[in-house]
Amino acid sequence: MKVSNTPGDTLITYSLGSCIGLVVWDPEARVGGLLHYMLPDSNLDRDKALSKPFMFADTGIPLLFKEAYRLGATKQRMVIKVVGGSQIMDSDGVFNIGKRNYMILRKMFLKNKVMINNEDVGGVVNRTISLEVGTGLTRLKVSGKGEFDL
Amino acid sequence: MNHADEIVARVEHIPPFPKVAQRVMEMIDQPGVKAKELAEVIMFDQAITANILKICNAGYFGLPRRVSSLDEALVLMGQDALKDVIIASSTARYYSGTVGAGYDLGQGELWKHSVATGILARHLAGKVSGLKTSVAFTAGLLHDIGKLVASSYVGDYLNEIMELVQSSGRTFVEAEVECLGISHAELGAMILEKWDFSPELVEAVRRHHDPSALEGSPLLLVVTLANSLVISAGIGGGAEGLATAIRGEVLTRFGFDEGTLDRCMLQVVTEMETAKDILAL
Repeated sequence: MKVSNTPGDTLITYSLGSCIGLVVWDPEARVGGLLHYMLPDSNLDRDKALSKPFMFADTGIPLLFKEAYRLGATKQRMVIKVVGGSQIMDSDGVFNIGKRNYMILRKMFLKNKVMINNEDVGGVVNRTISLEVGTGLTRLKVSGKGEFDL
Repeated sequence: MNHADEIVARVEHIPPFPKVAQRVMEMIDQPGVKAKELAEVIMFDQAITANILKICNAGYFGLPRRVSSLDEALVLMGQDALKDVIIASSTARYYSGTVGAGYDLGQGELWKHSVATGILARHLAGKVSGLKTSVAFTAGLLHDIGKLVASSYVGDYLNEIMELVQSSGRTFVEAEVECLGISHAELGAMILEKWDFSPELVEAVRRHHDPSALEGSPLLLVVTLANSLVISAGIGGGAEGLATAIRGEVLTRFGFDEGTLDRCMLQVVTEMETAKDILAL
């Protein structure tokens, strides 16, 4: 996870497969944050949750918001973008990590009344996401396809 | 367009697998083999010798003190670790530079993906009875070796392949076969046959994108499962991404559930942090 209020910073996270990349940006405070989490539930490994809380949605997402608030961002102003959550083509639905990663985020956002402004979620692609802290420009790169504004 | 013959001809140009590595792997499995005898063979491959010493002293295997001679390293390492180092240092040479660029994989990414798959396959082998961890590690390291020859062709056809995947829901490998006439999995099997690897390993590499792979041999199961989880974790998937088909239901027979798969992903990401020595080979 990275949070910044330095206008020249670009936050980037590479190769999101089933993982989720969550971008937050406050246009007034010029605070941006980026979280890359891998799994939905920290109950899987409590030790890991303590040493690397950003690996899990339930521990990482609150930390991202807290850190953004600490730098002056507010929930009302924040622009939220979500990418990732791909999964392999399993007709039996056993390999559903991408879906579970996205569902827990939706659940947490619903409970806390957070709206997603833009998203590119699901499918079978690899994504890389970057955020320019000064401008809020969010670029999405899809492996084998190219780069787009999100 | 079908380039299969042209691509297959390229398999012949792949340099042979280090003879020393194969000889040592055979020797290790013989009962009563001595470290000194192994050292006498290994010393003929400078890269492997240097890598054994480097890895011994770098901490991955947690050796208690610094070693300076091959004999000493072999005694301290134990056979399983030695096999892993030999196979990793023999394999690394094929993955150097921009191998895999056609798959939109950056420098070193295919090696990283292969090491991660090897590590997870080794971990999973412990859960599947009768499977040697070193064989699982080897299969993981080599499962994508066919990308060596397929890469430049895939690069030429990447737009068409991506279009097929996106518009028709084909897997990447299906689209690969449609555009190239052959898949990287089939090419990998040909390379491993040429290198005289066991039929079981050749088969595991050939079928690692087969949707029914989890119902196959234990080796095929662990390699396919490891690869699936490694690409899910975003390690070296490139343009192929997660566009591979699998039938996961069979995993419940082994007592695998969502938690097991999540823990495997956690395991591989954690182990990759300590596998820097192998990645640097």
